[in-house]
Amino acid sequence: MTAPMTAAGRPVAAAAAKSVAVVLKDIVQEYPAHSGAVTRVIDRVTLSFEQPGINMLLGPSGCGKSTLLHMLGGVRPMGVKTPTSGSVMIDGVECHGAHDDSVMVFQRYANRPDLSVFDNVAFPFRLKLWKSREPEAEWRQRVTDLLKAVGLADKAGLRPAQLSGGQNQRVALARALVLRPKILLMDEPFGALDAQTREEMQQLLIDLYQSWPCLVVFVTHDVTEALLLGDRVIVLSGQPARVADDFLIGEPRPRAAAWQRSAAAQGLEERILAQLHASPGKGQVRVSI
Amino acid sequence: MGEFWNPYAPPDPQRRRLLGVGSVLAVLLLWSAVAASGLVSQTRLPAPWDVVSAFAYLAWNDGHSMLLTATLWSGGRLLVAGLLVIIIGIPIGIVMGAAPQINAALSPLVDPFRSAPVVALLPILVMWMGIGESMKIAFLFIGAVVYLIPMVRDAIQAVPQSYWIGARDLGATPWECIRQAVVPMAMPRIADAVIVAFSVMWTYITVAEYVNAREGLGQLIQNARRFSAWDQVFAGIIVIIALALLTYRLMIWLKRRLYPWETQQ
Repeated sequence: MTAPMTAAGRPVAAAAAKSVAVVLKDIVQEYPAHSGAVTRVIDRVTLSFEQPGINMLLGPSGCGKSTLLHMLGGVRPMGVKTPTSGSVMIDGVECHGAHDDSVMVFQRYANRPDLSVFDNVAFPFRLKLWKSREPEAEWRQRVTDLLKAVGLADKAGLRPAQLSGGQNQRVALARALVLRPKILLMDEPFGALDAQTREEMQQLLIDLYQSWPCLVVFVTHDVTEALLLGDRVIVLSGQPARVADDFLIGEPRPRAAAWQRSAAAQGLEERILAQLHASPGKGQVRVSI
Repeated sequence: MGEFWNPYAPPDPQRRRLLGVGSVLAVLLLWSAVAASGLVSQTRLPAPWDVVSAFAYLAWNDGHSMLLTATLWSGGRLLVAGLLVIIIGIPIGIVMGAAPQINAALSPLVDPFRSAPVVALLPILVMWMGIGESMKIAFLFIGAVVYLIPMVRDAIQAVPQSYWIGARDLGATPWECIRQAVVPMAMPRIADAVIVAFSVMWTYITVAEYVNAREGLGQLIQNARRFSAWDQVFAGIIVIIALALLTYRLMIWLKRRLYPWETQQ
């Protein structure tokens, strides 16, 4: 699948990811706790995503959002059966493990310190799965284009330690998009960045999404971020996580500061905070403005 | 004096060197004073100048250098044992770190040997392997590998899980995750384990050469002891310490060359 490119080297919107249907049905997740008891982290969560769009999974810290995201990606970090019950269906097929439709971006960017920026973005093509799928000339071109798109074209030869935190996260984003995923899973990707860098990265995500509209599921505990980026905001309650609210935002991106201060935006913020305060459980959310 | 009891305020390099050289000189001075005063008999404590002349004698006498020959033999044994430690120990440590079940099975066989009296193994090795070179190399190998394997295992387990998850998510096979994401991250600490292994082997070299060595620094010391040539014993010990230090410096330099990113992290 070779997508046509614009003059700027980005795939044109016409080459967007094929739409994908992702359905989470009656997801329950339990972890064994002390003395044989179990802790329920996620309680009967049912969600479906069909259109390309940016979906924000908003909830207090430690509520199980990341666990949900790992399920979508088919990653099982803890060696515990996930989900305990319920199913994850991607295009009608039940997802049992790692699959090729989604790529994840983490808060702790997993860039290899011994490789250059270019080789970090090209990392997936070191793996058998992707090496056989794309000819080298094709993926090299893609890496070059993406480095340009994330603003690191002149940093291709540097090592991660020579970059700032924001630049490292740009590398991680480029590495995710180099595979042209149908689903982009983001696990609090900008949570560790300072406020100014976070704003730059949010803008970058909006730009990248416009050139590659796919299904984005973005986990955050930042209410402001959710309202700034989301086509849809799904509010999860504290542990055990349940869907407390789920609504769409029609305002086109980028959302101006004026909109963020508008009555409509303020109303949404109050609505979210009210839902979170009403639900029991611990954990915190952040409001940046 | 305000900065004296402050662990976070190291002296500048020049001052640090001055203090280090100063304390070594102070010990040499004390040693010379004791030797010159005649308080301790020469048979118990050779004077520093006796050690220096013994060193000169060992370094060049009668057309050949006993010290060089001995160093080459000991260094050669150490190098062979070290290569075996690297070739055998590192893969075992990686496999133990990468698969908790292998670790559960092997760690009871490896970990206790860290505190086992490895020296007590020597007679057993002699019984099994005779008194030739293979016994000496096997002894050095065992002495070092029991330190290296747990260190390599710990290096693997210390790699943040995010690297593993990230590679797994990109569709890496489990083995690709280990090889492409975890091991490269662990390499600097694995290099540290190799450095420790070589230090351990230098401390064991005299023991390894205790039985039937015709050549080597251990044999040289052993031989000198037999004739109560304490000045030569001292010279031999100092040479071993110097060689161990040189090996250490060389390997640290090599590690920095190979993994420059570690110090930048």
